[in-house]
Amino acid sequence: MNDEEIATDGGAVADTEEAASGGSGIARLRERDDFVVIASAAALVVFPFLLVDVLGAVGDVIGISIGGYAGLPSLVLIYGIIVIGFNLLLGYTGLLSFGHAAFFGSAAYSAALFSQVVPSPILMVIVGTIVATLLAWPIGFVSIRRSGVYFAVLTLTFGQALYFWALGPGSWLTNGDNGFSGIEAHGLFVGAVPLDTQLVPVFDSYTVMYAFAGVMMLIAVWVGNRIINSPYGLIFEALGENEERVEFVGLNVFRYKLMAFVISAVFAGVGGAMFVIHEQYIHPTTGLYWIQSGDFVIMTVLGGTGSLVGPVFGALVFEYVANVVSGVSLPMIGSIGSLWRFVLGAVFVFIVWVFPRGIYGAFSDLGARITGGGGDGNQPAATDGGESE
Amino acid sequence: MARETTALSRRDVLKASGAAGAAGLTGLAGCAGGGGDSEYPALGNYPVEGDEVVFGFNVPQSGSYSQEGADELRGYNLAVEHLNNGGGWVDNWDGLSGDGVLGKTVTSVEGDTATDPDTARQSAQRMINRDNAIMVTGGSSSGVAIAVQGLCQEEKVLFQCCITHSNDTTGSECVRYSFREMFNAYMTGQALAPVLAEEYGEDLNFYQLYADYSWGQTQQASMEQFFTDVANWSQIESVPTPLGTSDYSSYLSDVPRDEADVLVLNHYGLDAANSLPQAIEAGLDQDMEIVVPLYNRLMAEAASGSIDGIFGTADWNWQLEDDASQSFVEVYRAEHDRAPSYGARIAYTQTLQYAAAAERAETFYPPEVIRELEGHEYSGAGLGSESMRGCDHQAQRDVLVMQGASEEEQTEDKLLNIVSQTSQDDLGYACDAGPAAECELGEYGDE
Repeated sequence: MNDEEIATDGGAVADTEEAASGGSGIARLRERDDFVVIASAAALVVFPFLLVDVLGAVGDVIGISIGGYAGLPSLVLIYGIIVIGFNLLLGYTGLLSFGHAAFFGSAAYSAALFSQVVPSPILMVIVGTIVATLLAWPIGFVSIRRSGVYFAVLTLTFGQALYFWALGPGSWLTNGDNGFSGIEAHGLFVGAVPLDTQLVPVFDSYTVMYAFAGVMMLIAVWVGNRIINSPYGLIFEALGENEERVEFVGLNVFRYKLMAFVISAVFAGVGGAMFVIHEQYIHPTTGLYWIQSGDFVIMTVLGGTGSLVGPVFGALVFEYVANVVSGVSLPMIGSIGSLWRFVLGAVFVFIVWVFPRGIYGAFSDLGARITGGGGDGNQPAATDGGESE
Repeated sequence: MARETTALSRRDVLKASGAAGAAGLTGLAGCAGGGGDSEYPALGNYPVEGDEVVFGFNVPQSGSYSQEGADELRGYNLAVEHLNNGGGWVDNWDGLSGDGVLGKTVTSVEGDTATDPDTARQSAQRMINRDNAIMVTGGSSSGVAIAVQGLCQEEKVLFQCCITHSNDTTGSECVRYSFREMFNAYMTGQALAPVLAEEYGEDLNFYQLYADYSWGQTQQASMEQFFTDVANWSQIESVPTPLGTSDYSSYLSDVPRDEADVLVLNHYGLDAANSLPQAIEAGLDQDMEIVVPLYNRLMAEAASGSIDGIFGTADWNWQLEDDASQSFVEVYRAEHDRAPSYGARIAYTQTLQYAAAAERAETFYPPEVIRELEGHEYSGAGLGSESMRGCDHQAQRDVLVMQGASEEEQTEDKLLNIVSQTSQDDLGYACDAGPAAECELGEYGDE
């Protein structure tokens, strides 16, 4: 299972920390860097098979439809990219933003608008990301001056302002409540490879779109890994632990916080543009409403803020419950339907209660127990990397 | 996209890229299709393999329209039951056997749209990709219907609209793969204006509040058009209120009491259940007449103390005395112990419509089913003779003008009285006029 493969990168975190503090074994760090990406790539190769085909087969056996569907793996990866970035802000710097939908949605809308002129997926991602970044700068500049709940509310306010603008006055541009449809991403390499081309016969979840999302995910993992293992990333982490100390060292706290905010917005922007390429549709409620921002928080905490890829598991569980469990019909109870948020809430409470470090934390604990003493070195490192209190 | 400003509009790009998209899709479907003795190439979820055919029922089970979603679902399940075992309208409609559709047993999958367009699309995607639904139906919010019908056009799977009243559904956002049985805001204006002009007189001033989204915007525009043209009234102002507002007092206090003769509340569902009682409480009904363009059961129930004498329109009502309506009410009542709302009727009708079209086409191949539905003339759906127009997929049909019943008159089921059934001859618009002028249906998928 992919859990084990990714669990090993908990080891990578421990090692790199050693490397960063010890200053030795830079070659090893490099090796480990690649290892994280390769392990993630391996997980990405089997992921749709497990989610769609294996679960589908299990569902056929037990008579309850629990399998994923073709578009779901890509969707999970897209949200995964976003929450990896969101976690850099929440998990490492300790800043809780409730307005990341603003970057997600603005990137989605700008990519959608841009596609009307040049329907190239890669350019759409670039344009969307640029817009999200440019937007993050002023929003971050204003919001970061306050901390804690004031910061959260300020970001929320900016996000909501954009939402109401897109729904009402801006509907000449966004098509308002009718949603923005007719988005055409022509395919990669100047339209030569359409995104819905199937890569593997029979397994229809392996599309070019999935591969595209997978590559973007690997880039996100690689970039995220570089950041948290760099001296810059160490400062992010230090900020989360004790802001005052960082200030006493003589570092410009505001600047680092703003950078963390902008970097996380870049991830949200990439995700937003990818979302629009994948769905070919965007609506203000999906793109900009505060519930979307809240969902990012839930995914991140659910997956585990203590590690780089942890939140991706949160995205997986969230999207699975939202889109598959919500359609399940149980023999005695009947259709889950509207109860899916309840199910998600129950899962959330359970995870946060039993495994405070999220799903990923639970897996790495499990991994440590199975491998015996081998895991001991990982645990403290992973813990101090993540606790956001 | 600013449709009117740029040289290259969304629709142009859509058209230009249609060929590429279609090529990709057929390629995809070709892989999935496999064997079968089908006479048509694989398209969307055609051919249907095995002894079962799957319909996808995508209704709001949570969110502000969940109560309507529940009643829609009752209509759908009744339709499946009758298609498989006979009963209800299945016994009277041509082509339907009561033994499944084209020899296959009908099964269904359900989804929750949560009254949210993206959730609805994910749910429909799941039904189409995983469960191989040959037809998806649902709605109860125009935003949702428009989002899902766009997806269905891409996936080449039929969408049978349920409750959606915005002009855009079969206007600027129309698609080839979607059909609408319900009437729209434009027809509401046409049906309501003459009745109100007669009731309240001419040369009046009216003031509007409208829910600021797709439906509310088209609704208020249609009301303005017909009140001005037909009733010869003049509009003082039309004010948007955010969707989901619970306190309308600030909007209602801005209504000019001395100037306005009529107040039009273009709200639906929970919004109307809030705004209408608040307007009555503020005493606005003492100074002017209140009109609620589109009634539904949820709001009539919630505002039951305040609807006495208030005019509006409805899709259908269980009090209609024709045979089809009565037989539907009877089978529904036998199962659920109360009268169906109009959402249930649309759900039931739309499912049978699809099944009958597939029977007539003798195949599930979507382009052929679509051609059977286009221009189809029918009766026995509770509203006399109707037709499904080919140029914009909007049913041409009668519209009911309703008036709220007084509190003494009201029962659990009876909240409204039917004032008149406006004939389709007095309603509607040509294919090159009104909302239809903006409609470009797109491709069948077999070109």
